[in-house]
Amino acid sequence: MTLETEVQSLRQVPMFREVDPARLKLLAFTSERVHFADGQRFFDRGDAADAAYLILEGEAAVTLDGPQGPIRLALLGANALVGEMGILADQPRSATVTAVVPTTALRIDRRVFLELLSQFPQIAIAVMRELAHRLEMTNQQLAQMRTG
Amino acid sequence: MSGGAGAAERTGGGMAPAAGEVPAIAREDRAAGRDQAQAAARTGNDPEAADASGGLDRSLFRYIWRHSKRDQILICGVVLASLPLYFASLDLPRRIVNEAIQGHAFEKGNETTKFLVLRLQMPDWFGHDVALFPGFDVDRFELLFGLSSMFLLLVLINGVFKYWINVAKGALGERMLRRLRFQLFALIMRFSPEALRQTKASEVATIIRDEVEPIGGFIGDAYILPAFLGTQAATAMAFILLQNVWLGLLAAGVVGVQFVVIPRLRRELLRLGRQRQLASRRLAGRVGEVVDGIAAVHSNGAEAWERAEIGHRLGGLFDLRLRIYRRKFMVKFLNNLLAQMTPFLFYCIGGYFALKGQLSIGQLVAVIAAYRDLPPPLKELIDWDQQRLDVQVKYEQVLQQFLPDRLIGLDAPGRDESLCGRLAAEGVGVQEPHGPVLANVSLTLALPAVVGIVSDGGPAASTFARVLARRVVPTSGRITLEDHDLSEWSGAALTRRIAYAGVDPILFPGSLRDNIVYGLNRRPPETAAIDAKVLAEAHRTGNPVEPFPADWTDYAQAGVADAAALDALILDWLTRIGMGEEVYRFGLLGQVDPERHPELAARLIEARTAFRERLAAEGHAHLVEPFDPARYNRQATVAENLLFGVPTTSALTGRAMAEHPVVRLVLDRTELADDLITMGERIAATMLEIFRGLPSGHPLFEQFSFLSADELPEYEAILARRTATEASAERHGGSALNRIRRRWIGLGRYGSADATRLIALPLAYIEPRHRLGLIDDAFRDRVVEARTQLRTALDEAGMGGVDFYDPDQVCAAAPLRDNLLFGRINQSVADAVETVTATGTALVQEMQLAPAITRVGLDHQVGPEGRFLSSVQRAVVSLVRALIRRPDLLVLDGALSPMGENRARTVLGLLLERFGRENSLVVVLPNDRLADRFELVLRAAGTQIHGPERPAGPAASPADAPAGAGAAGPAAAVSGRAEDETGPESARVEQDVKA
Repeated sequence: MTLETEVQSLRQVPMFREVDPARLKLLAFTSERVHFADGQRFFDRGDAADAAYLILEGEAAVTLDGPQGPIRLALLGANALVGEMGILADQPRSATVTAVVPTTALRIDRRVFLELLSQFPQIAIAVMRELAHRLEMTNQQLAQMRTG
Repeated sequence: MSGGAGAAERTGGGMAPAAGEVPAIAREDRAAGRDQAQAAARTGNDPEAADASGGLDRSLFRYIWRHSKRDQILICGVVLASLPLYFASLDLPRRIVNEAIQGHAFEKGNETTKFLVLRLQMPDWFGHDVALFPGFDVDRFELLFGLSSMFLLLVLINGVFKYWINVAKGALGERMLRRLRFQLFALIMRFSPEALRQTKASEVATIIRDEVEPIGGFIGDAYILPAFLGTQAATAMAFILLQNVWLGLLAAGVVGVQFVVIPRLRRELLRLGRQRQLASRRLAGRVGEVVDGIAAVHSNGAEAWERAEIGHRLGGLFDLRLRIYRRKFMVKFLNNLLAQMTPFLFYCIGGYFALKGQLSIGQLVAVIAAYRDLPPPLKELIDWDQQRLDVQVKYEQVLQQFLPDRLIGLDAPGRDESLCGRLAAEGVGVQEPHGPVLANVSLTLALPAVVGIVSDGGPAASTFARVLARRVVPTSGRITLEDHDLSEWSGAALTRRIAYAGVDPILFPGSLRDNIVYGLNRRPPETAAIDAKVLAEAHRTGNPVEPFPADWTDYAQAGVADAAALDALILDWLTRIGMGEEVYRFGLLGQVDPERHPELAARLIEARTAFRERLAAEGHAHLVEPFDPARYNRQATVAENLLFGVPTTSALTGRAMAEHPVVRLVLDRTELADDLITMGERIAATMLEIFRGLPSGHPLFEQFSFLSADELPEYEAILARRTATEASAERHGGSALNRIRRRWIGLGRYGSADATRLIALPLAYIEPRHRLGLIDDAFRDRVVEARTQLRTALDEAGMGGVDFYDPDQVCAAAPLRDNLLFGRINQSVADAVETVTATGTALVQEMQLAPAITRVGLDHQVGPEGRFLSSVQRAVVSLVRALIRRPDLLVLDGALSPMGENRARTVLGLLLERFGRENSLVVVLPNDRLADRFELVLRAAGTQIHGPERPAGPAASPADAPAGAGAAGPAAAVSGRAEDETGPESARVEQDVKA
């Protein structure tokens, strides 16, 4: 697996869909590819948010600790981006992410990511668009709940 | 204590055998004996040098004469001895022309004449004809060849004389230069505090390095050159006079003019030279200042101002130099003119005499030959005279910096008793330029004690501490111990018995250990054998005769037996003060020299295996890829895989490796060069693609790119050149012959410079990290193959430069940590570094390697002025330096303040445990907060020091309860009394302490 395949994966992420391939290559090149064993944590709830992860292969579970053990919120598969909100908001991790099978992910360092955002408006706009999109979705869900 | 013993040993002691072997040094071998070594090291071992001005005479010539008369006389003697032969070589041309060529020796019809009768026609005053040998019968040709051969022989002999004289002169000059430089350095050690305040380090360095250099050069010539050239010129002149009085007088007249006029013209030159010397010394001082204060220059944005300032100075220097040149070459022109006038007169007038028959042709030839020899010595004599004036001026200017009033006295032998008992300050006052800092301070302390001096924010507390530490000599009053003035102690004894650690630790470049044991470097080793020749030279030049480099450590003073015990002591202190962890980390990054630490080296090899096993047992074997001579290490760079070792020269480090001839040879032979070039192209193309558009200097470049921003255009050009060449190759057909032809005429894919630039890129490439997909298994196998070839080739080239990895050996060039791991951590596994580090730490614990590793940490280099350390670390080093000397009295004047209050409190607690029973501790305290932990407290107020008082605290003894019931209230009362009736009060306190 090389840089090219990682760029392909990055292109699958809605946030980066519109971004220039050369920039995605830079993002991939400045990121690390890391392997997680089955059951190994990406990060724990409350950890400092130092990186976002793009899952290249494998699956990871997002969980919260409940009184009867962990509650699984979501299961993430290939091309899923996780932890990006934390690095943008500069807040501690809101949930725990654990590999459920041997998993390979691209670790996008927070500092580098912010550096790229400030350097290339194209990436920044893509991120804003994605965030606005999510906000709108949330608003709609809220409206549906109110009406429903 | 040192004087008497030294005097008794003067003729004996360690130097006696060497003096016996080298009789030449016996004359100067007056200062001997170990005890005097320290005094000798300060002044040179020449007792005459110990006079008021530190051995520098007011007059340069007297200085030279005093220290080198024996050599000067010897060389002068040889010069004189060479003169008859020189005269003979002047006389021979006459005989060759007159006797052999013109046949005067055969005038009376003789077919033969006598040759080699040893009857060189000497003037009468030189002696009589010596007829030791009746001579050979020779004919005209034989006489000619005989005389000519003799001429050649004389030339050779004169050459040998000149050679010897030059070497002897050079050695003499260098010896005197060594002596002078050493004396100046020794004098710097004696600079008074006032003189030190006025002195710029870089200016003094310039004096010792540059300014005395011409003086040294001149010293070799000081007496000999005038003697040699003067007699030579006089001989030549006498010869000319003997041949023809008129010609002689003529030559003498021209010489006289040269001697009178030229020096006058040169006076101005000297004045300018002096100005230039001062200006360039100031330039050096200024540059030194700017470099020292470069941070301030940057932060104030004063670069332009500084540039302009230096530019102005350089302009001034240029101007001076130009004026010097103009004058100098004008003088030269005049000089040459006068020198050339004489031959003209000789041809003219000498020819006239010859035609008239008053002078033989032979005589004329000889006179002209003799005259040709006259100007060079004269010119040199005039040069010598100018140099003399010049150097004298320089010498005087150097001397100005080292006048006796700028020096403190030599260390005289004195008392050396332990600093215990009743210490009294009697009316101590310290006057600074801006006013009094201490005025009439009187108090008594019973030592040993732990004393805190609470500062009032002014300088009084710190100054009083420095007075106690003998860093400052009081301007009035005195400090006594048991009624003996402290100045009765010898300086050496006091510096051994008192340690002072101030707020600005002074560290020297070197290792942590070097800096800590600096205060123990006081005992020159006695056993070390010194080369007799080296020793003799040291004696002849008044230099120290102690062996160096050698182990000067005074282990006894630290109370330990050897270096290992001292290291343990140092580490103990460092750990207690809380720097143990940091030194351990220095140790992990430090290098293990198997020669110095054989035991640790062996255990590291053991630990390597254990590390591997432990990782495997924990299921983490995949986290580390070990170095294996037969396998490509995927986690290491291409360069590291090629070398399979750590480079020790810059020629094999980083990109430079691509230019290394042996590496290139092996790369070409194994055809890896082509692969690397292709990889380089791919890397360059990718970097160009993804880093384009980032501003240069962007941190991402630094961190990730194979190329720096300013290299992008260069590599773009390289790739463009390739495309152009390939296109042209395509157009011109691709037959094999054509390709070879193109390569020959330099139209290969790349020029050699471009190829080198491209090969440099993949050297740093690691596939799992950079993921450009450039490396396959075939490439890996070939690299492993090339690895062996490269090693053989490097060994054959015999250049060294690589410390190869060997599973059974410690790699001395690699950090200790890498030696333990002996592999590379797999960075692409999450949390690999943390996991491996934890395993390593546990292993080190288990194998009890930590002390040995920490010991390696003592080799950590502290950098210039200790800049590689943090300010806390510097403070700790300075404190431990003072502690391991086990002083009678330790004075801490702000030495704890860089550590922060909490740590300072802990360290103070540690010190309070150790001090007070045999040794005393005096600490300057910024405020009252820690005062209650001291036995005795002094308080600074303005220019006064009040006390001592006994605070209520853990240190106070129960018997003392009434006196120190409350810290603040009674303390004021005590100090109030102490001021008026120091005697009784302190006597009482003293009794209390003893009770």
